[in-house]
Amino acid sequence: MRHRVAITGAGTVGPAGSGLEPLREALASGEPRWSAVERDERFHLESSSRLAGRLGPDPYAPWLSARVARRMSPASAMGVCAALQAVADAGLEAEQLAGPDTAVSLGTSFGSTNYASHLLQQVVDSGPLAISPLFFMETVANAHAGQVALALGARGPNHTVSQREASGLLAVARGAEWIATGRARRVLVGVVDEVSPILHAMLDRFGALVRPSAEEDLEQPRPFDRDRAGMTISEGGTVFLLEREDEARDRGATLRGRLGAWVRASDPSATPTDYGRDAEGLARRLLAGLERQDVDPTSLERVVSGANGTRSGDALEARTLRAALGDAALPPVLAPKAVTGEYGGGFLAAALLALEELAWPTPGFRGEDPALGVTPHGGAPLPAGRRLLASSLAAGGAAAWLVFDQD
Amino acid sequence: MSRVVVTGLGAVSPHGVGVARLWEGLLAGRTPIDRLDLFDADSHRTSLAGQVRVPEQELGAFAARARLLTRSDRFALEAAREALAQAGLVDTSTLEGAGVFIGSSTGGMFEGERVYFDLTGEGSDPERHLRFLQLGGQPVCGPGDAVARHFGARGPVENCATACAASSMALEAALCSLRCGEVEVALAGGSDALCQLTYGGFNSLRAISPERTRPFRAEREGLSMGEGAGVLVLEREEHALARGATILGELVGAGSSCDAHHMTAPHPEGEGARLAIERALGDARLGLDQVDFVNAHGTGTPHNDAAEWRALEAVFGARAGRLPLTSTKGSVGHLLGACGGLEAVVTVLSIGAGELHPTPGQGERDPECPVDLVEGEPRALERGEVGLSVNLAFGGANAALLFRSWSGEEDAS
Repeated sequence: MRHRVAITGAGTVGPAGSGLEPLREALASGEPRWSAVERDERFHLESSSRLAGRLGPDPYAPWLSARVARRMSPASAMGVCAALQAVADAGLEAEQLAGPDTAVSLGTSFGSTNYASHLLQQVVDSGPLAISPLFFMETVANAHAGQVALALGARGPNHTVSQREASGLLAVARGAEWIATGRARRVLVGVVDEVSPILHAMLDRFGALVRPSAEEDLEQPRPFDRDRAGMTISEGGTVFLLEREDEARDRGATLRGRLGAWVRASDPSATPTDYGRDAEGLARRLLAGLERQDVDPTSLERVVSGANGTRSGDALEARTLRAALGDAALPPVLAPKAVTGEYGGGFLAAALLALEELAWPTPGFRGEDPALGVTPHGGAPLPAGRRLLASSLAAGGAAAWLVFDQD
Repeated sequence: MSRVVVTGLGAVSPHGVGVARLWEGLLAGRTPIDRLDLFDADSHRTSLAGQVRVPEQELGAFAARARLLTRSDRFALEAAREALAQAGLVDTSTLEGAGVFIGSSTGGMFEGERVYFDLTGEGSDPERHLRFLQLGGQPVCGPGDAVARHFGARGPVENCATACAASSMALEAALCSLRCGEVEVALAGGSDALCQLTYGGFNSLRAISPERTRPFRAEREGLSMGEGAGVLVLEREEHALARGATILGELVGAGSSCDAHHMTAPHPEGEGARLAIERALGDARLGLDQVDFVNAHGTGTPHNDAAEWRALEAVFGARAGRLPLTSTKGSVGHLLGACGGLEAVVTVLSIGAGELHPTPGQGERDPECPVDLVEGEPRALERGEVGLSVNLAFGGANAALLFRSWSGEEDAS
């Protein structure tokens, strides 16, 4: 027997602030919150991107004191902060999550690259004997999932997935599967991502980031646009609390939505540093996965797309969506990364907000790329929806899709 | 619910490339944990590790693509190649729908830190550093991505990055995926390479033994680090039977948990490990008396071995001290995110051979951990049908896997 999976709580922290409301406002207004990124002359070029979506001052208040946050990496603090919000949003006390029935499944694209580079710099400056145990502990990729479990006493399965842009949806899918198959009764699922100077510079060197152009000194990612020239990376974290739907209803919880299906795939035509090209192959996997879970693709009323403004990534995304859902029948496509930038938490939270009838404009979109044939939604109100598809394709080949639905 | 069987095994370990070298080295009680030369060992507190020392050509099938492949990638690719060959899945068109579940803890960190040191050295000019591109292989998903790309797998590719439980949990993820029909075939396991960050980091925690590790011995001083990969081909039973595959064993259950106690120290009573083992038993629908041996986490740190013993004692009661137990880490070192994959390979080999390899290490057994440790010589098992593999991790994560010999008979449990 498979259990239905309910989303009963959500928390988020990101460049727009802490909680869903600041993100909702940012999306609705179509106003990104970019800020100047810390540059490191050893890594960055003069022509490199200069912006990123960064957390503001005291970003975890009131959920996490600065004193507690200092004992962990930014990625871990984001995870704990978002998890505490999600538990409260679900109408539960943190103590109620303690025990073996609560699991954690978190994703991260690159882990704590700030602490990893601090640690490597310690080696450069003073040799390996100077390595800080704290920095080391927090560079381990599952540190944030461990910290969330520690904060809540969650003794169920504890999983970390790191699959670049697909990390968040894969982590949610893993948690949803645990609920559906009875391996856990409650799961904190989500994703955390940090911006660090070396990560920013690395992505810039790969040509992934939008740079200031000659025509305008503005770095704005333009998903699906004919002139798109790259993404802007951001940092933040989002956590959902998933529960068995029957148990959630029994305790009188308000459901934010359900996870109706999850599909995973890979594209062998990808390279280690870029997206693949096999849209037909991905579409076949998507459709087969939906069919296996009894989801009619024509029932998908909107798509929340992971398109981030990269040339190859958006091309693969557009072609996959069109191949799977049909050129003519493509539902409205929302592209939150024009506002949030590239971080899994912003995307995940935006998908949930889209289920809650939020629609938003796509800043920076100036004209359709005829090779892609997808025009992102312009921001007009959309009719109430019951089912949407969230789509996330990753450099390196991974792909993940979630179907969110509600009554 | 479909049964999940093992049809292929692959390994790269400090014993060399291939399952045969691994098994031969383990049975002989060899300990290829020596002074490492992958980086400057003199600058660290200790200098020993289980390093993979093989001629370049032994990983040569992937040499043409080596520029962007990390050591971890190449270990994973070689182990996957061997496992697929044993499974008779050499035609990659048969892998169209396969899933790839590869755990890793460091990914391409070894290459990443070399680039970092290069970039931050004196006279460094960022304009000239083409090697920057090598950071593209740094993410921990690198080995799994490389396997999926190389062998043309289009099913799910999901890295598990849960530190030292990563590949055991990757196998659990594959088990779930196979049982629910998401895939018919999965490549699952783990791959990790030594690097300064983890070597220096474990040293900063005083977790590395200055001598070769001695799991469950009274004078044990810590772990020895290692590197390598272990990959299994898992299939739904009906898929394996339909294509006439030779079945090596069955993955009957998996369980995982978290201590939620401390980020780096295990729960002193092994509470989380107990929970993971009990969950695996429940998942497999096996009774306590059906477990015949244990391939332990057995790192050789004072706290870890003690916690693991207490977990076994809590689950199996008085029988815990009579369950034959071995630690593969005593021979090859701790492969971090790859240890669960390699030890799963060894557990299946143990079931097939009906014997356990000895746990190398000098000294008296720890009376506080009275396990039935296999020492000195391999031990023939009176009954070797079901083996338990345990792995425990940073962040309090724990994972347990249960493998069983496969007879083709109806599952009576």
